[in-house]
Amino acid sequence: MSQLAEMAASDPVLTAEILRIANSPFFGLVREVNSVQQAVVLLGQQTLRNLVLCIAVKDVLNNVYLPDLDVTSLWESTLRRATAAELLAVNLGLEIEKCFTAGLLQDLGLLVLLTQDEDCSRYWPELKNLPPTKRLVRERELFGTDHAAVAELLAQAWSLPSELTAALAHHHACDSMDCSTLCAVLHCADWIAAVFEVENEPGIIDDCHHCLTVHLSLDRENSEQILNALPARTESAARALGLRINPQADLQKVLENANLQLVEANLSYQQLTWELQQTLDERNQLAAELDRELQLAREIQQSLLPAPAGSDGPLFGINIAAHKLSGDFFDFFQLEDGRYYFNIADVSGKGINAALLMAKTSSLFRCLGKRIHHPGTLLKLINEELCETSVRGMFVTLVAGQFEPETGTVRIVNAGGPPGIFIDKDKRTTPFGASSVPLGVMPDTDFTVEEFSLGKGSLYFFTDGIIEAKTSRGKPLEIEGLLQILLKYTDQPPAERLHLITEHLCNTSETFRDDITLLILDANA
Amino acid sequence: MEFKLLDIEPYVVLSLSGEVDMQYSPDARKQILSVLERSKNLLVDLSKVTYIDSSGVASLVEGFQLSRKRNLKFGLVGVSQPVMQVLRLARLDTVFPIHESVNERIAAD
Repeated sequence: MSQLAEMAASDPVLTAEILRIANSPFFGLVREVNSVQQAVVLLGQQTLRNLVLCIAVKDVLNNVYLPDLDVTSLWESTLRRATAAELLAVNLGLEIEKCFTAGLLQDLGLLVLLTQDEDCSRYWPELKNLPPTKRLVRERELFGTDHAAVAELLAQAWSLPSELTAALAHHHACDSMDCSTLCAVLHCADWIAAVFEVENEPGIIDDCHHCLTVHLSLDRENSEQILNALPARTESAARALGLRINPQADLQKVLENANLQLVEANLSYQQLTWELQQTLDERNQLAAELDRELQLAREIQQSLLPAPAGSDGPLFGINIAAHKLSGDFFDFFQLEDGRYYFNIADVSGKGINAALLMAKTSSLFRCLGKRIHHPGTLLKLINEELCETSVRGMFVTLVAGQFEPETGTVRIVNAGGPPGIFIDKDKRTTPFGASSVPLGVMPDTDFTVEEFSLGKGSLYFFTDGIIEAKTSRGKPLEIEGLLQILLKYTDQPPAERLHLITEHLCNTSETFRDDITLLILDANA
Repeated sequence: MEFKLLDIEPYVVLSLSGEVDMQYSPDARKQILSVLERSKNLLVDLSKVTYIDSSGVASLVEGFQLSRKRNLKFGLVGVSQPVMQVLRLARLDTVFPIHESVNERIAAD
């Protein structure tokens, strides 16, 4: 008689349990089993050993008092793996009992880890819901080791057969090393069980099929057969062992759930795409609206400039905006007495705020200029107004002037702007640098007026965009560079000259970061 | 652009460095205003500024204007050559109190 039978016989509780299980429909025996010895004969030693093992494991679990640990689902999970291994063995013609036993023990290490104390046991619901690989990683994070390593130690301590010990130790390493068939069975049993345990991972069924194909060469039909058979077989085994487990969802239900999740995932993806598209549409619409507003602002801004060069008077100007809106402007107009007022200006900063301040300054100049004929007084008044309503320290550098055609007298006020350049008929140059601070900086400022005769010469005004523009050599043009260009075209008629100078500047400078504004006073026409 | 704040009684010294252009002048402005809004006298150290554009100058102008409104002292110290060139061109060197160093400014007060 086997040692097992002897051992069982000495424990009446164990004997009763063996007999109860042996007579359960799980084994489908026709004859009633009345003794442990008979059970050995009818079921075989291996099966009996499994029975004892199951009972022992069950006792261990039942004796652990951890109120938060869901022992039922833990058992269910253990038994599911054992049954899966058993079904694989049947399908592959392997030793059924050996595989069942190995399946039963494969997560024993996890039992040990979870039942260390209450803190550990609360991780079970989380671990239960993870696919095999992720579960192993998480175990290492939580416990510093994993169930395979613990199972190996236990198996060694209990002197379990080396093949079993190795399978328990390496059943998660099948992808990275050659392992025994038993080891592969355990690996696949894990994935089969996961199909029924892991929620919200609709891809897990395909992963499972893939695993069975790769490690055990089972085709989809065979692997579906196993998955189909598992729930009922697990329930049957639980009943036989007198274990309470939850009703098992069949594969059909699991598949339906997975499909539902996939549909939901796709739906939310579609919804996300749709919302993204909506946001993009809204953004494009806003951008288009802004663009229209800017275009309108640009048109208004351009309308503030005088008629294009080529007009009858002595003044010729151009403004090329670096951006949609310019921070520069120039203007000229004739007073009733025949004198001309002109100005060229640059507002600090760029964009809409600069454009608005430009519009304001330009309007003030035109409106007040028609009544106040002294340039210094005019600028003083505009400055007071700008200082009073100053925002963010924005200021305006402005060169204003007045020209009397009858006498050829020019009066200039340079409020912080680049120097005006006078080139006489002999091509001698005289700069008229800033004599006052820019407008909008300090109230009660006086603006000095310089007076001279234009004669046969020309007077040029520009904003700093021109002299700061980088030449093809990478250096700023500077005033010297501009002077050379001005001198080159000085013999041309003024309207033509303005065109040639602008063209030259655009060809010289690779990129204009700033606006280009140029104004010529020439009375020779 | 980088900045540094230092308390040198009776001033807070704000040191700016690098390029104070359209991109960074809002930061410079924020620092300038935050000092003045705490009712502290402000000196802006520009010795390490390599470039300043009109938006950067506007931040200094705003600081200058606010300090006048609040009766606080304001000034520039150690103005670097590129900055000085911009200020001179626009005659703004006649607006801002400018000194070689913090000590020189304090001695002049």
